[in-house]
This record gives sequence, structure tokens and C-alpha cells, in this order.
Amino acid sequence: MEKLNILADAAKYDVSCSSSGSSRGGNAKGIGNTVSAGLCHSFAADGRCISLLKILFTNECIFDCRYCMNRRSNDVPRASFTPDEVCALTMEFYRRNYIEGLFLSSGILYSPDYTMELICQTLYKLRNIHHFNGYIHVKAIPGADPALIHKAGFLADRMSVNLELPTAESLKQLAPNKNRKSILKPMRQIQNTISANKEELTLYRHTPRFCEAGQSTQMIIGATPESDYQIMSVAENLYQKFSLKRVYYSAFVNVNEDKALPALPGGPPLLREHRLYQADWLLRFYGFKVDELLTDDRPNFNMRIDPKADWAVRHLELFPIEINRADYRLLLRVPGIGVRSAKRIIGARRFGNLNFNDLKKMGVVLKRALYFITCSGKMMYPTKIEEDYIVRNLTDDKERLKFTNDGMRYEQLSLFS
Amino acid sequence: MEEKYLVCEDSIEGVFTGIYEAYALREGHEHIHIQIGEEGNLRLFATYINIEPDAVKTAKVAQTLRKRLGDEVYLYICRALAAQDRMKGEAVYKTVVNGLSKGGGRRVMENLADTHVERTFELARSAANEALRYIEIVRFKESGEGILFSKIAPKCNVIPFIMPHFADRLSVENFIIFDDMRKIYGVHPALKDWYMVSDSDNSVYDMFGESDKENEYQELFTAFCKTIAIKERINPKLQQQMLPLRFREYMVEFDKK
Repeated sequence: MEKLNILADAAKYDVSCSSSGSSRGGNAKGIGNTVSAGLCHSFAADGRCISLLKILFTNECIFDCRYCMNRRSNDVPRASFTPDEVCALTMEFYRRNYIEGLFLSSGILYSPDYTMELICQTLYKLRNIHHFNGYIHVKAIPGADPALIHKAGFLADRMSVNLELPTAESLKQLAPNKNRKSILKPMRQIQNTISANKEELTLYRHTPRFCEAGQSTQMIIGATPESDYQIMSVAENLYQKFSLKRVYYSAFVNVNEDKALPALPGGPPLLREHRLYQADWLLRFYGFKVDELLTDDRPNFNMRIDPKADWAVRHLELFPIEINRADYRLLLRVPGIGVRSAKRIIGARRFGNLNFNDLKKMGVVLKRALYFITCSGKMMYPTKIEEDYIVRNLTDDKERLKFTNDGMRYEQLSLFS
Repeated sequence: MEEKYLVCEDSIEGVFTGIYEAYALREGHEHIHIQIGEEGNLRLFATYINIEPDAVKTAKVAQTLRKRLGDEVYLYICRALAAQDRMKGEAVYKTVVNGLSKGGGRRVMENLADTHVERTFELARSAANEALRYIEIVRFKESGEGILFSKIAPKCNVIPFIMPHFADRLSVENFIIFDDMRKIYGVHPALKDWYMVSDSDNSVYDMFGESDKENEYQELFTAFCKTIAIKERINPKLQQQMLPLRFREYMVEFDKK
């Protein structure tokens, strides 16, 4: 009990929670299947989902990363699981439908190889002795032997290597024992093995699968001075060049009182994290490019309105668009229309012209969309198409007050300027 | 013309039989309506016809729907009928008419500008969402004999939609899910097919006692859920948005013991 508390406590700053991306039926030998959409079994008091049994194998660590609670120089209670304990916990929780699978990460005990070996052993037992067929997410330890990572990949659904910080300089500053190369190397290895495995699978259907749900990574936001533009460019690169499934952003939580780290009087930069996730979705599902959202002159996201609305009000020349004619990609660019409602619109307009009432029923958020669309040539009601006016209406009163002091782009005229 | 109301039982069988009879009347569909269960307030200029569920007619309707509208639309219709709503019979009936007689065909569910199709779509979505939710939050307890049992109280009739998932996932387990609202059991014997049983009281469910280890794992998980939250980010409002209170009743981690 004590152990689970210590090691879950130590793992909680890992953000990845998804159990999605792989779809596998159950079998008669053991328990477990996976659902491609993923399932969240519960929600913790901070509103984050509990999908996987998220634990560290051990919180002993030979590294001394400044931002990490489990760094060598910290005096925290230490504990380690044995492979059998992890297996028993996972199996019993899974049977009771508490969790969707296991998320196993670890501090570095003695050496990366030794730790990775232990993780592999655990996964092997879980898969082959307990016949666990559910979801497993495992961390690849940077610096571990490629053969061990290869082995772990065949036992897990998803692997991840944490990028930790967006640039090599910050990494050097805050995580002296890690370097960019040792992080990117396993990432590249996993990517290559996945693509090779895919080709094999097309030839031999029953060949073992390597990381069916792909790989992911995470970055800490707000511990170092990078701009949103830099962070998003890194993310875009990771999606394109390393074919990652997900990049997670983790608002920096100051647990260590270290002079190399910024003090955060207002708590973790949650709103910034939120904007990054919104932009991340725009990259992956809405066909946006980072350069469209941010530029060198405007390196940070607007805190008042979301990135998509921000893009739209700066491109008013494209709007309003006609709902009954516009193509799918243009529909997706309208604030208030998401992937689902865009698809519904495309389907429903085959049967006849749509009006605003129909759109509302389909789930379009008219409050945001009305400035950018027409139905059969008419706008919902007469409105100015003007940047300031729209922005003022897109932010509600409460929010407007919140942002009067700093970080605001659209402001009242000042007397002295 | 006089309005006709076909009064059907609240089940897939009841409504399908109603649809069969509505077509059998051959009077067009504008003045015929399907109503589920008796209504207190009767209309003056309307005829009410009671429809007894009939297995043969149900099978005929089901077969036609699957053949002409496709399995996907059929699934929508079944889901909509599992939802908890008094008007679902009428919505489904008019959707079927739209699909079979007005050229909607296999695409009928895309015609969201039609009120009845939209209503069916909405009902189906609410039932599907609730079923998905229950797939996530069902909490099994282990009895002394190693049987897993669980109690739920959903708004929609979700058991038929969640049993296939659990039967696949926990194929080697004996388990039972009890719907407290409708007094229905979903039963799965290990490595066999699952089935449903209805029961007038909770007598079967109350037979199960928790095993010795059960409490230990419940406590472990409760502790895990508590620890995993990041103190600096505590946000009960977000938690409640993600997991409304009505779902928490039978979840061990929210049990205030």
C-alpha cells in the first residue's frame, strides 16, 4: 500500500494517459482486449483521467534532473516494486475494470540497461505468464541497449521517450545527465522498427506486433524560456519526422525549489498548456501548419481567444463562407465547427439546404461560428466583419476582466499613446 | 382525417410490431403515430389502438430494416429504442418511413435536417454515449467463489450494448452485471456466450458476498486515485464535468466509507 502510494505519487507528473490506438480482440487464454478509441475509467481530483495504472517501477534514480522530484539529490522516500507485484496489481485492477492497462515508467536504478531489463522482465511475465492481453504503455529509458528496447516494444502497445525540454540548451541546463542525442536515438529506433514491422505485417499477418499504438513523448512547458512558436515547431517536426502519435505538454509544476528553475507565483501555466493542446489538435486534425498559427513576430498564442479563432480573425478576407457550398477543409477552418460537425454538414446538405437551426442541432457552436458563415447567402443576423468587434464578442465579460492587466493584444486606446 | 395512435410496449419488439401494424393499415403515415405506454391525457379526436408485441412481425420488420437500410442504420434504431424517452417510438417510426418510403435509404441517418431523424440520431447518441460511459465505470467486485459482480443504474438500457465488450475482454471470467433500474441481469459464464435474465427483486444480486481480498484492492485503488492527482492542479469542477455525480454512485473510488 505504502509502496503503491510512493510510486504512483512519483509517476503522476507523466502526462500521457491515453489507452488508444490499438484494437485487439480478447482471447480465450487470458483476459484483456484493447479498444482503438481508448477508455478513461475514472477521473482524479485534478480532472485528469485515470485510464492506466500509472506507476514507476522504482523511484530510485542515478540522474539529477533539476525539475524532477525523484532526482538523486532529493530526500524522498524511495521504493521499488518487484515484477510479480506489478503483475498482481495490474491483473487484479484490470479484472475489476478499474483500469485499461499498465503505464510503466521508472527511475534509473544502477544503470539504464539494468532498469530496462527489469521492465522487460515485468512485461514478459505479464504477457506470457498472466496472459494479460490489455494495453501496456512503457517508457524507453534513454541510453538503454537497443536490443532491450526492441524486446520491450514487442511486449507493449505504446512506447514513449520523453523529450523533457524543447531545446537542446535547456536540456543541458536542467537535465545534466541527459542529452538530445540519447533521447532522439531510441525514438528513431522505435520509429524505424514500427515501420519495418508494418511492412512485415502486410506480408505475414500473424507476425508479432511492435508498438501497435505508436510512440509518444512529452515536453515540460514553462520551466525554460522557449516561446510557443519554438515548442510548436518542435512538435510539428516530431509528428512529421518521427511519426509520433502524440506529443504531450506538461505545465511545469515546481516541486524542487531550485535556483535554476523559475518561481511560479500564479501556479503552473495551465492556460498556456491548454492553448498548446488546442494548437496541437489543429495540427493533427484540422490541417493547420505551425507557420500559419504563429510567426517570429508573434511567437506566443493569444491568451484571450483560442488559436483557431485567432487565426480566423486575422484572415477575415476568407470569410464569411457559405455552409451549403464550402468544401470540407474550409469548413474545418471555421471557429465553432469541429471535425464531427463538418462531416455532419457534408452529409446532411445532400438532402437539401441547411439553415442556422439545423446547424445548431448538428452541434455547431453558433456563438463562435456566426461571424464566419452564411446559410444560403444570409448571415445569422447583421454583424460587423471587423477584427476588434469579433474578438470582443468572442470573449465574454468575465474573461475580459481577467485579461485587462497583461498579455493582452486587443486593448482600449490609451490616453498617452 | 382522424389521427390514429398505436400504443406499443416499451421495447424493441413493441415498437417494431407497431411499425408493422402502421404499414399494414395502408393509410399513409401522416396521421398515424406510435406512442409508448399509456398516456394520462387522451386526445378527443383520435383513435387509440393497442398493439401486442409479436415475435414474428418483429422479425419481419427487423429483417426489412437490415436489408433495406443497412446494419448501421439498424444499430442506430436499436440504440434509440434503448434510450429513456417517451417520444422515441414516434421518432423511430417516422425515421423508418423516411428511410423506406421517402428515399432516404441507407443514408437516412445523414438527413439531420429532418426533425424525426435528428431526434432518433440524438437518442441513439445518448444511449451510445451512456453505454460507453458504463463500459468505463462498471466496477466489479469479487465474490468468495471468484465470480465478478457489479451493480449499475443507467438511464438507458445499456446492458445489451456493454455485455459484448466485457464478454470479449473478460472471456475467462464468470461475471454478472445487474441493472438496478430495470432489474435486468447480464450474465456471462466463463468461455460461454452471455445472456440476459430479468428478475423482479434484488434477491440474486444480494446473494453475493465480497471475498477477503476484495476490500484490500478497493482500498489500494482508492489510494491510487487520490495519489495520482497533482496537488497544484486540483480542479473539482473539471472533475465533475468529466465525470458527473450521477455516475459515481457505484464506483469504489468515490465510495465514502
